[in-house]
Amino acid sequence: MNDKAKNQKDWEPKIIAFLCNWCSYAGADLAGVSRYQYPPSLRIVRVPCSGRVSANMILDALRSGADGVLVSGCHPGDCHYISGNYYARRRFAVLKNFLEFIGIEPGRVNFSWISASEGEQFAEVAKEVTSRVKKLGPARHLVKEF
Amino acid sequence: MSTPKGSVLIVGGGIAGVQAALDLADSGFYVHLVEKSSAIGGSMSQLDKTFPTNDCSACILSPKLVECGRHLNINLLTLSEVLSIEGEPGSFRVKVRENPRYVDVDKCIACGSCAEKCPKKVPNEFDLGLGKRKAIYLRYPQAVPLKYAIDPEHCIYLKKPGRCGFCEKVCPADAINFKDTAREHDLHVGSVILALGFRPFDPSRLDFTGYGQFKNVVTSMEFERLLSPSGPCLGHMERPSDHQEPRKIAWLQCIGSRDINKACHGYCSSVCCMYAIKQAVIAKEHSESGDVDATIFFMDMRTHGKGFEAYYNRARDEGIDFKRARVHTILPAANDNLKVRFAGEDGKIAEDEFDLVVLSVGLETDPQVMRLAHELGIELDSDSFAATSCFRPVETSRKGIFVCGALAEPKDIPQSVMEASAAALEAERILHPARWTETRKKEFPPERDVHAEPPRIGVFVCSCGINIASVVDVQAVTDYAWTLPGVVFAQNNLFTCSQDTINQMAEIIKRERLNRVVVASCTPRTHEPLFQETLREAGINKFLFEMANIRDQDSWVHQDEPDAATLKAKDLVRMAVAKVRGDEPLPYNSVPVTKSALVIGAGVAGLTAALSLADQGFPVTLVERKDRLGGHARKFFRTWQGQEVQSYLQELAGMVEANANIDVHLGTTVEDVSGSVGQFRTMLSDGTEVKHGAAIVAVGAESFKPRQGRWNYLYGKNPNVHTLLELDQRFIKDDPGLKGLNQAVFIHCVGSRVPERPYCSRVCCTHAIDQAIHLKEMNPDMDIFMLYRDIRTYGKREHLYQKARSLGIVFIRYDLDNLPRVSETSGRLVVEVKDPIIDAEVTLHPDLLILASAVRPRDDVGELSKLFKCAMTSDGFLLEAHMKLRPVDFATDGVYLAGLCHYPKPVEETIAQAKAAASRAGLVLSRDAVPAESITAVVNAQKCTGCSVCTKVCAYHAVNMDANSQKAVVDTGLCKGCGACVAGCRSDAITLKNLGNEQIMAAVEAAMEDF
Amino acid sequence: MPTKNESITQELRQKARHLLESGQVAAFLGYTSGSVPMVMKPFVARKPEDAERLEWNSFCVLNLANYLPPLLRSFEPPRRPNDPPPEGPLPKVGVAATGCWSRNMVVQVQENQMERERVVIIGISSRGMVDRKKVLNAVNHAEITSVKEEDNSLLVKGPGLEEEINRWDVIRDNCQTCVHPDPVIFDEMIGQLQGDRDIQDRFRQVEEIENLSAQDRWQWFTSEIDSCIRCYACRNACPLCYCPTCFVDDSRPQWVGKSREPVDTAIFHILRAYHCAGRCTDCGSCESACPMGIRMRILTKKLQKDVLDLYGTEAGMSIQQPLPLSTYKMDDPQDFVLTESFKGEKK
Repeated sequence: MNDKAKNQKDWEPKIIAFLCNWCSYAGADLAGVSRYQYPPSLRIVRVPCSGRVSANMILDALRSGADGVLVSGCHPGDCHYISGNYYARRRFAVLKNFLEFIGIEPGRVNFSWISASEGEQFAEVAKEVTSRVKKLGPARHLVKEF
Repeated sequence: MSTPKGSVLIVGGGIAGVQAALDLADSGFYVHLVEKSSAIGGSMSQLDKTFPTNDCSACILSPKLVECGRHLNINLLTLSEVLSIEGEPGSFRVKVRENPRYVDVDKCIACGSCAEKCPKKVPNEFDLGLGKRKAIYLRYPQAVPLKYAIDPEHCIYLKKPGRCGFCEKVCPADAINFKDTAREHDLHVGSVILALGFRPFDPSRLDFTGYGQFKNVVTSMEFERLLSPSGPCLGHMERPSDHQEPRKIAWLQCIGSRDINKACHGYCSSVCCMYAIKQAVIAKEHSESGDVDATIFFMDMRTHGKGFEAYYNRARDEGIDFKRARVHTILPAANDNLKVRFAGEDGKIAEDEFDLVVLSVGLETDPQVMRLAHELGIELDSDSFAATSCFRPVETSRKGIFVCGALAEPKDIPQSVMEASAAALEAERILHPARWTETRKKEFPPERDVHAEPPRIGVFVCSCGINIASVVDVQAVTDYAWTLPGVVFAQNNLFTCSQDTINQMAEIIKRERLNRVVVASCTPRTHEPLFQETLREAGINKFLFEMANIRDQDSWVHQDEPDAATLKAKDLVRMAVAKVRGDEPLPYNSVPVTKSALVIGAGVAGLTAALSLADQGFPVTLVERKDRLGGHARKFFRTWQGQEVQSYLQELAGMVEANANIDVHLGTTVEDVSGSVGQFRTMLSDGTEVKHGAAIVAVGAESFKPRQGRWNYLYGKNPNVHTLLELDQRFIKDDPGLKGLNQAVFIHCVGSRVPERPYCSRVCCTHAIDQAIHLKEMNPDMDIFMLYRDIRTYGKREHLYQKARSLGIVFIRYDLDNLPRVSETSGRLVVEVKDPIIDAEVTLHPDLLILASAVRPRDDVGELSKLFKCAMTSDGFLLEAHMKLRPVDFATDGVYLAGLCHYPKPVEETIAQAKAAASRAGLVLSRDAVPAESITAVVNAQKCTGCSVCTKVCAYHAVNMDANSQKAVVDTGLCKGCGACVAGCRSDAITLKNLGNEQIMAAVEAAMEDF
Repeated sequence: MPTKNESITQELRQKARHLLESGQVAAFLGYTSGSVPMVMKPFVARKPEDAERLEWNSFCVLNLANYLPPLLRSFEPPRRPNDPPPEGPLPKVGVAATGCWSRNMVVQVQENQMERERVVIIGISSRGMVDRKKVLNAVNHAEITSVKEEDNSLLVKGPGLEEEINRWDVIRDNCQTCVHPDPVIFDEMIGQLQGDRDIQDRFRQVEEIENLSAQDRWQWFTSEIDSCIRCYACRNACPLCYCPTCFVDDSRPQWVGKSREPVDTAIFHILRAYHCAGRCTDCGSCESACPMGIRMRILTKKLQKDVLDLYGTEAGMSIQQPLPLSTYKMDDPQDFVLTESFKGEKK
């Protein structure tokens, strides 16, 4: 995205959201069915499981210019694939700390557990993540200008 | 009987009915599923969380409902009732009345505009009246079918035609039909399964509870809705009077259960102790203030199921207060609070004040169901549950009609699911000659090979009436789609999912020679299968398809931001196009099936499972490590209903021996297993190699013999100290030494519910009490003392407990801090115990001391579970795929479990579970090939380092190291396509088909592109 | 009196010679001196007489585990990818190993890169290795022609230079903060095990950066890697980096650009470090190998700290202990999860 657009006051960030098919994507659908409104900042990428999401994918989103990233999966214990979110939880805990260590602002990269029945919670998370990212402003650190 | 019909009627669309329907429809039978409300799902859909895993109820149930709703061989008849059933097993004539919905299900798109405009608000029965719905409504957000219905009781138009009619005016799909009328269906089926469930006990019948008088006294079902995120307070726990979060909550157990006085229900409802603990735990978790005081008032804590006792212990550790006391009065207090007056175990009266009182109401049969049962000639027992017997747990009094779930006895979800599969099995047993005769199969034309073609992508942008179009500029999105690389066609449709558009889409695919399709509309979770089918009808592989969710995740959530929503829709379409460009045709994988089964263990479970399969014509290899059939049950005297076990066992073993389809291997064990579902190869210790498509593990358990240590109680030292099974042996022999005895003492929980074996053995309370009654009947003057911790005679077994008390058998409670002490004085047994009611030591001199010792898992079960790649619990029992909804499946497809190796259980539950396991195995054995996942992991051997991260993170053991190359290889028969291995691999050596890193990157990068 | 390292050298030669002579091993992997002072070369002794060339001193900075798998493979008969593994016992290799090297060998066994049975490990409890750059700094980058090592000092000589330097002052950062100097697996030991070292501030370097603001951390990170020339010496020296195609060389998918643009360099360093999470033993080879003096060890040290904090494990402590990112516990920490922190905030 060009800087002119980013400098605009009503700048709307773009946030890549990797959602697991079985819980969080369904939760996002339920937010829609229930008409919970949230900012139009999320670009949802449906993945089978939060366990499918790698550090590389998160970095790639940032490199491509995402102002923020959200990864959301089933609550621990609810994974459709038995244990995918447990591995994801370890990978993400380590990655998030690490990215913050090298200076990626806390709030750029976010994780949540949202179940298929948590439509309102999904909207809440979308709002929260958007507001955090908006406070931080456009991401620049890892953006590759092609 | 002439050739039976190949279809089955199932009455009741709760979890039991749904499970039975899926089992039958997936193994070759056509199913009519009759449900009286407007959607299936039953009571389970109303629950917030489920014990003991705290799984979200809707989350785990929904996929089953969706599957049921879409199934080609399940005819869903909602708003329907059975009027009559005539005929006999194999051929029943059924009359069903389908009440009008006033909404055309083929047209309704569930957009909700009708309900939004409907002016009539009525109490929502799904929320038990705690919330409101409109007169046109969806039963609940995830309802199946996801179609609105008009409630004729409340619809203004239907009451007074000419008035209102708003829904008809706003419906974008023209789906409202006020002229709809009831229809009668005449069905011809081979068998019937009744799964009519229960209704919660209505506590307004019990004055002392204050229910109906005080707003803050609610039933447990109401409390489920208060907790539920889709309930009336959206998961923010509020009490009814002032919508404030309750800080102090009391649960009152046994409301309408174990009460022969006021409630007239002598039985135990079996599930209330666990659901109360669950609700207390969840209430604490949900609480926004974080400090909820939870008190549970109970008589006996009945946590007798798998994982329940650990759940109870954890709840206690988390500070939930368990009070062994009977509440007798509830009075109003200031601030809408409630004063609860109760008598403790010592008889002392005390009181406490609470913000909210939850009545743990029992389960009872709905009077309407009683009437139906009567009309159908189904015998009910004295508790108004369907009468069954221990050896025939799912058979009703009418031949060919079966029962499952809470209609037969109050029970939890896994038990209901087990019985549902067992009932399906019984129907299959009658109808197996007619398998696949009435089912339908979808035929598709051969697929065009598009490998060499450059992408020719078609984009269909849906207006969804005005659901999308009123917010998103669909024409602009369509125009934009034309500009994207690879797109050769784009079109806007009013309703992309309507039948005429679907037909048109197939024509366009052929005409434009499209080889990739994107539909920008609603959610792939509900509509992807429909559009994928359209691709197949047009001769294109169904995996060359993507959806852009511009409704649920765009127009519906950005209603006030049309420009931003349009921008987002364009992004989503661009992302989908970028993704679909990389999609490749995938095979519709399947694994051919060896149509025979291996059953391991020849106890009641193994024998029952083997016969159940062999009777349907499937060859069975039955392996037993001992040199005779019968297992653990050879030591049993009788069931709790009084039927003799030994004669039954002999009959069962005789039938197995005489069955030509069963190959029995005695004194044999399993040495090695290879292969996967459909194609297992197992080596037996006698050198036989068995090829089989499915396996049932029924290896049983052992009884704990307290030869030393804390639970010894002179067992093995004094000849008059027995375990339950040893006393059964004496009963079987009709031992004359048991006559003329003066006194017997039973000690319960010997080695169960103790630190080293923290689970409850489930069967011993009932067993011990039945033995005490038998002794008492032999020697009416005998004094019998039961030293117990909690009496757990769940369900109808409670009647035995009542009988024992009425016979004068004395019950003395002890706890782990005050264990009974057993000694010997010149050969005579002395038992000392503290009686908490009289607060004094009691000394007994029994002639017989019976230890109700634990059922413990076999030590060698771990090795067997490893062979089949199955998991175990920390207690050492085998672990099913899902504690609630897959109680007889292992996580490994094609392997099932039954009996004591799963958890301690009485013979009737073992039989039901064995039949359920046979039914599940039948899903595999009844077909020539089983479908396998198409989106599977695939290894690039050039990049693989053999580091084995992928094998470690795979929950399905689908990735293994090739012995030769030392590279990862994927067993596509086992892979479920979750991608945990892909994310774990540092070398990019393993990827998911059509969900590879490159494709996900393409979508991510497309999302960020400027235009 | 010989110095400690001289004694170790003698014993090492003796043991290596014996192993080679008796045919127990086909080769022995150790170090020999290079032509430049303070630069040691990994060396493979293949004949008993080669053992005399083995040398042990404070400049053996590269992790020998890195050379083991290819060395072992060189003794296997050639075969095509899908041929069955050769029958019969394969030749073994002897190797000297300090604490961290042995822990990397454990990781290699866990990750199927070698078989424990095929190595004879001669354990040496590490006294720490010297950071050549620190020595150069200590003499203001004067020319050094020889360095003589005593137990606790280095005697540095050059044209117009003769200086005695306290050895501990020039020990590498990773060795100064090393907690586990003893080998965790070995077949024979030279000298005694010294036990775990009690280091109070083993993560001091990491904590200093953690305490900076996000902006300053980014400043630190970018300036630290600013001089990176993408030569991959750090990767090549690392016993954990053995992918046939490294992500930096991959074009399908291309995770990172091949340019020296700061973003690409940053992503390279992030992913390189992240790939070491839960596996890195802080052997310091990467830093010792870096020609530009980049302290990329701090990145892996941060990961080491977090894995220890979160999951209580350190890489390579035992073959049985699972690698932390290929396992889990039901109650792993999850405060970082937004929906969990919501709960916390409410309370």
